[in-house]
Amino acid sequence: MHHAYIDKFAYQDSPIHRLDGRVKFIVALTFTAVVVSLPRTSLSILTCYAVGPFTILVLGRIPLRFAFKHILLVCPFILVLALTCPLYDRTPVNVAFGLFLWQTSLGWMRCFTILGKFIVTMLALIALVSTTRFSNLLTGLHKLGVPKLLIIQLGFLYRYIFILIDSAHHILRARDGRKLTNLGFTAELKIAAAMLGSLLIRSIDSAERINIAMQARGFEGKWRSISKLKFRRCDLLFTLSAASFLFGLHFFIKPILL
Amino acid sequence: MHMANELLSVPIATGTLAIAAAGLAFICKKARQFIASDKFPLMGILGAFVFAAQMVNFQLPAMPGTSGHMVGAVLLAIILGPHLGAIVISSVVIIQCLIFQDGGLLALGCNIINMAIIPSYIGYFLYKSFTIGPFSSLRTYIGAMMACVIAIEAGAILVPIEAALSGVLVVPFSTFLITMLGVHFLVGFAEGLITLAVLGYLQQVRPDIVVDSLQGKVRLSRNAVFITLAVFTVVIGAGLSLVASGMPDGLEWSYAERPDQPDFKPIVSNVEPTVSAVDDFQTRYTPMPDYSIRTSKLGETNEKEQEIKTSAGWTSFAGVAGSGLTMLFIWMIVSFLRKKKSLEA
Repeated sequence: MHHAYIDKFAYQDSPIHRLDGRVKFIVALTFTAVVVSLPRTSLSILTCYAVGPFTILVLGRIPLRFAFKHILLVCPFILVLALTCPLYDRTPVNVAFGLFLWQTSLGWMRCFTILGKFIVTMLALIALVSTTRFSNLLTGLHKLGVPKLLIIQLGFLYRYIFILIDSAHHILRARDGRKLTNLGFTAELKIAAAMLGSLLIRSIDSAERINIAMQARGFEGKWRSISKLKFRRCDLLFTLSAASFLFGLHFFIKPILL
Repeated sequence: MHMANELLSVPIATGTLAIAAAGLAFICKKARQFIASDKFPLMGILGAFVFAAQMVNFQLPAMPGTSGHMVGAVLLAIILGPHLGAIVISSVVIIQCLIFQDGGLLALGCNIINMAIIPSYIGYFLYKSFTIGPFSSLRTYIGAMMACVIAIEAGAILVPIEAALSGVLVVPFSTFLITMLGVHFLVGFAEGLITLAVLGYLQQVRPDIVVDSLQGKVRLSRNAVFITLAVFTVVIGAGLSLVASGMPDGLEWSYAERPDQPDFKPIVSNVEPTVSAVDDFQTRYTPMPDYSIRTSKLGETNEKEQEIKTSAGWTSFAGVAGSGLTMLFIWMIVSFLRKKKSLEA
């Protein structure tokens, strides 16, 4: 059984993919902070901010459908919270958009702003991780001062997630093949515990084998990456254009729209 | 309980990020003292195990149609110890953010604190303090249940607190708190059961793994499960009703002013000079001409108000349309260039 890697687009090649991981990480973080700190009832400015991640996604050849499918997948929690806003904030407001003018409540405005901010920040995050290989991102994070233990941990974790998810699928399929009805709570719990337990034992055993193999190849607890991080001219260009985008929106567009 | 960026203000987000980073750095330093490099693959794979374990679902009692899955923080803390457990679960949370986009980038600090650091330490110490001394099945059972329920509740309490500190809550704080506590009580209970069952299985099959944390055989009977469910429900329910009555409801505050009912008398009104000064400041510097709730306060005539509204409508329309056109333009240029390139090649 083969897994569709969730970050398969990170292995493409484009000008955006070739940028330094550190630069992209910092830009994404700054962008998220700026978007989150926008006022809570302004929707139209959000579309202006959406231009940024949109450009990166298009330049990086990431299909927009993939990005939006992903956003849809992770939105339930924030959707519930956003939809409770109209219930609690019923202050009536008049909204004007172009020729149209209609009355709604402040709660609905907030609901849509929360969702809009969620979509824009998620687009930025997707643009970051689907244009950066995870190992490069880790090397960048290490250079930015994340402890080595955590970096090694993240590297191993990333390497084995898909393998273990595969074996979990195998176990689940075996259960589905043998169990035809609901067996009652106690039996179900016992089966689930046995599945989890055997998965844990499998993981521990394979960790021992991997450890032996790595020791044999001279692993002594250092994280080595083949990619060399270098701050090049295109990184400078990217940083400058990102900064001018954010500054331009903040100082020229925002005062007009708000 | 992955928090999203939108639930936090920037100061709270950076503050929690700093706390989480400092905490993780400290834990890593501490862990460095007692683990050798041959433990690294084990920790990484156990992190991946947490992901895989979340796919194994099982039917929950009393709620047909819903299924639970394991979160694993307490189980790993019990098996690996709190420091390594916290590092493993933190790395899981980071991967969930970076690869699966679950939880926002700014909210990463909060998520690490709520879901990794707090549950690992609280879970471990609760379990250890109950199971200290000679082995007894009942004490192990109570210890594991308490550890899971309280550790997960402790993380869940922090979510509404962080959101309230950020000042983004529209929902009354107490409602949000009660919802979170109620939902996570069930989550914690299921987690406790499955943690205990997995520990029991490991004890049968590979006793060497759990040798420090589980000395004898744990028996799980149906009656014991129902009794603990009842006891926990009573305790948590009593606690929740205390919390609910003790806190002022946010609804009263939000109706301090109602433009649709001019003769509405606010229940609470604040006439302190500092408060009104802050209010005035806010009125002046956070103008929202798009949504004309403030215009009546500024004392403008009706006609002028209408004018402002229509012009604001056009600017916002221009903003949206301009952004849309820009995106379309960028997309067209890039696809044109790409086509040209592929034709040349």
